[in-house]
Amino acid sequence: MLNILVCVKQVPDVNLVRIDPETGSLIRKGVPAILNPHDANALEAAVRLRERCGGTVSCITMGPDQAEEALRECLAAGADRAVLLSDRAFANADTLATSYVIVTAAKLLGRYDLIFCGKESLDGATGQMASQLAERFDASQLSCVREILALDEEARTVTVTRELEHGVETARAALPCLMTVEKSGFHPRIPNLKSWKASRKAEILRFDSRSIPGLDPAQIGDPGSPTKVPRTYPPPVGEPGRMLSEGSVGKTVETLFTLLGDVL
Amino acid sequence: MKKLSARPAAAAEGAETPAGSRIDCRPFSTYAQKGAITIDYNKLTPALAAQLEAVVTPARFQYGESVREEYGHDEMPIYGRRLPEAVCLAETTEEVSAILRLCSANRVPVTVRGAGTGLVGGCVPICGGVVLSTARMNRILSYDMKNLVVHTQPGVLLCDLAADALAHGLMYPPDPGEKTATVGGNVSTNAGGMRAVKYGVTRDYVLAMTVVLPSGEIMKLGKTVCKTSSGYSLLHLMIGSEGTLGVITELTLKLIPRPLRDVSLILPFRNIAEAIASVPSIKLANLDPQSIEFMERDIVDSSAAFTGNPVFPTVVNGREAGAYILVTLVGQNEEELTLKMDRLAEVAEAAGAYDTLVVWTDSLKKDVWAARSAFLTVIEAETKLLDEMDVVVPVDRIAEFLVYTHDEAVAQGVYVRSFGHAGDGNLHIYCCSNDLGEDEFKRRVKKLMDACYAKCAEFEGQVSGEHSIGHAKKEYLRRSVGDTAYGLMAAIKQVFDPEGILNPGKVCHDL
Amino acid sequence: MNKQDYRDMWVYIEHEGGAVHPVSLELCCEIRKIADAAGEKLCAVLVGDLPEEELDRIRACGVDRLLRVRGEGLLPFSVDAYTALFTALCEKYRPTAVFVGGTIRGRDFAPRFACRLPTGCTSDATELVYDPKSGDIEFIEPAVGGKMMAVITVPVMRPQVGTIRPGTFKYLPAGPRPCETVEERFDFPPEKIRTAVLGFEPEENDESLNIADAPVIVCVGNAVKADALPKYRALAARLGGKLACTRPVFDRGLLPFKLVIGQSGAVVKPRLLLSFGVSGAVNHVTGITDSEKIVAINKDPDAAIFHYCDYGIVGDMDEVCEAMLAQLGEKV
Repeated sequence: MLNILVCVKQVPDVNLVRIDPETGSLIRKGVPAILNPHDANALEAAVRLRERCGGTVSCITMGPDQAEEALRECLAAGADRAVLLSDRAFANADTLATSYVIVTAAKLLGRYDLIFCGKESLDGATGQMASQLAERFDASQLSCVREILALDEEARTVTVTRELEHGVETARAALPCLMTVEKSGFHPRIPNLKSWKASRKAEILRFDSRSIPGLDPAQIGDPGSPTKVPRTYPPPVGEPGRMLSEGSVGKTVETLFTLLGDVL
Repeated sequence: MKKLSARPAAAAEGAETPAGSRIDCRPFSTYAQKGAITIDYNKLTPALAAQLEAVVTPARFQYGESVREEYGHDEMPIYGRRLPEAVCLAETTEEVSAILRLCSANRVPVTVRGAGTGLVGGCVPICGGVVLSTARMNRILSYDMKNLVVHTQPGVLLCDLAADALAHGLMYPPDPGEKTATVGGNVSTNAGGMRAVKYGVTRDYVLAMTVVLPSGEIMKLGKTVCKTSSGYSLLHLMIGSEGTLGVITELTLKLIPRPLRDVSLILPFRNIAEAIASVPSIKLANLDPQSIEFMERDIVDSSAAFTGNPVFPTVVNGREAGAYILVTLVGQNEEELTLKMDRLAEVAEAAGAYDTLVVWTDSLKKDVWAARSAFLTVIEAETKLLDEMDVVVPVDRIAEFLVYTHDEAVAQGVYVRSFGHAGDGNLHIYCCSNDLGEDEFKRRVKKLMDACYAKCAEFEGQVSGEHSIGHAKKEYLRRSVGDTAYGLMAAIKQVFDPEGILNPGKVCHDL
Repeated sequence: MNKQDYRDMWVYIEHEGGAVHPVSLELCCEIRKIADAAGEKLCAVLVGDLPEEELDRIRACGVDRLLRVRGEGLLPFSVDAYTALFTALCEKYRPTAVFVGGTIRGRDFAPRFACRLPTGCTSDATELVYDPKSGDIEFIEPAVGGKMMAVITVPVMRPQVGTIRPGTFKYLPAGPRPCETVEERFDFPPEKIRTAVLGFEPEENDESLNIADAPVIVCVGNAVKADALPKYRALAARLGGKLACTRPVFDRGLLPFKLVIGQSGAVVKPRLLLSFGVSGAVNHVTGITDSEKIVAINKDPDAAIFHYCDYGIVGDMDEVCEAMLAQLGEKV
């Protein structure tokens, strides 16, 4: 029986985030929290694989209580069970501390043949979680997967195509394997009413820092995060360029071309 | 000077009678006679241009060469382009009044323009003259939270008003597909949109307005109350008058508390006939849906290719979907919505829907509605020549009408794409061709439309649900309402605009 | 951990087919400056062999030391071997910072060895500043979709690991310095490599998709209508240049990813960039700042792009494009 894990994150819809021009800080008020879009693609890949090969898809996330919504979305879209890791002590974690908590908790619940995660998050966008989760799961690692060609449960290998910078690679990896997928091949499905209703009622497994045995307090949250963000500021903007307006578009373009001269 | 005709012959004889006091005893149907009217418009002189420029300041004035191309057309260029002689971007009621006073006195046509997103040539200055743009009158003035109204300028974009109202915990219910239209344009066309099935149309949300008459006189119509039984409603005459009676410079719009929760559901069907056949039972199920939209598979496929996101599933439970119904439900909480969804799923299944898909999350809603909103853009992108119909037919005749249209289109050698508001029978039918010459296309589309509008009349339908008449659908309006009604409209126009300077040649104004 | 025990700044030299990846040279040039500011040595870490002239190109960036690693199981590249290798090298030599090009490979293995060490890792900085007070490097990067800039530091742990996207820094060699070569042997048991490449289908080399060296670029932003693309392609062709786009245009499926300019796409340096309907988000702008002349056309007079251009025109992009074609004597 294939055991698949999908690691997801709830993020603010950064397209709707505004910056306070006075303080330079983020205005999160009224900005909806959504399931990180790349994670929805990862989940879709996992669910399709289960539909092909059988098994179980579990989802796990670390975040505030509201992150439960993101997990219910995963359940509606085909995940079989969901795990929420929530604790104030987990706050301000970088990828190193986050991957530590997720993997420590996930290992309590089982062993995984395949682990999927989004290639990056909409908000942090470091793209580091995949590598660090793979490291902590001691899994092989395949990024940029376009298609899962074959899964050989006896040989314990998975064969995929990957979209690289200059072409498409066919690669095989030993299980357990962690994958990130390309969006184009794995658009998330819209759940039907039956699975949506089930997702609203489903029980979500919850853990906090005390209910994960063996969790080292020095490796979680802010203390466990080697990277810090001492400050943020608005992007610098230069002086505006010379604005051209000569009445008609034709004349403006004529002036522009004269100004450009040799550059043209 | 360009010779144009737009004045009743009787009035021309009595040219000395001061405007507004003419007596005209002709039967109304004579107003509907072509060529019965003549009027000479004057060209915009440099002197008048200078006066107009002084009203709006040089930065908001375009004249001659500097007039930008976009002011010569709307989004349906097949009906012809014509550049105005000047463009005034007004910012206040007083400026509008001054512009109209000057143009009236000089008998120069004035065509009001919002965002230029219309589809029937309504904002195209077909007699030249001045385009009066409301794009800069784009401030939301104030909210009256006790009476649930908003005071706004007409140039505010629908999307901006909708978002701002939501931020105040309120909703402006009219929701036409074109979100970048101006509110003023919506009122002038009595725009409908997706939520009309539950909330009604723009007309139902206009409580009061400030209007400038062609003479320049400023007038307030309506009050901030929801009931009135006080004489003829000039307010409602202005609504849907397409800038032919006066210029709206301020609006008081009714708002409602925003619904707490909403959910959209996709019902895939085998074909359009089965999809449409489900609509009456959906309406009867006591769900009070906010919208019931239909879409055919080919437009969904094109939209998926265009946006790169195949959000509507094409194979559902192993079966190819040929058409979809998209229903939006609102409610106070998840429990209420769940009950409604259960009910809908039962009705849908009985009607032959392949499944009931739940669009619950913000991301999915965004994707689904982005795909739905992209339809017109997609059609524009993949089509060289394009014309459209915006008919309304009784809900139980939608499928029949679509089949008829498809067959007629095949006979004429053009293809059609359709989608629209299944809940209220308002269909958007686009006639397209990529291989015909323009003249041949127009000839064939005319035949197609003649047939379709006749069929629409036979079904007791309307020429336009929400895109209006402009100058493109005038002939079909006349045929649809008859000479007496058309003549009454023309006579009303005559009362408001005796010089015929406001948006000449539109709706019921024959040149 | 005592930060004083860590010395030297490292750049990983990625190479393929006997040629150094440009990002590695760009990093050597940029880190040379940081190393000077910090009083550190710049060390290039090369796995395997390169022709002498390629080694000279690395040295020409002002590299103080070439750490050349040979051994079993290191080639071809695998995440497993490189994670083990860099963990071992860092434990042995204790560099204060390790920079890796933000290629798919680099982004795959750098965070992984940082996790194994463990230490802090950052991605996609667009600016690096050495803070002499703390002795830390400030990794400055656009955050929240480019709406703000974030300063990231690794104040306690060493090495400070960073992946940097190709094209972020300029290839401006400071000239060679005395450079010692240190040979290192590291064997990774091949049976411990858990991934295998079974095949590779190179993308057809479509010259029109190579925008990095184009002399003129016509870039369209999200405001572009699908049916208008031929106009912009024609304008690019008429000017002897190439068509490019911003990320959302690719997301809409209108143009291939190779034509995307910006942090996640290509960095361009044309003598003329005509930017149509581009809003000017930082993530895109990082890809165009090396252009000699930028002309921006946008409907919105407040669009950020106007702050990065030499000349700006507020107007309808299609109209301006048509006017340009007309001016150039092309039929529209």
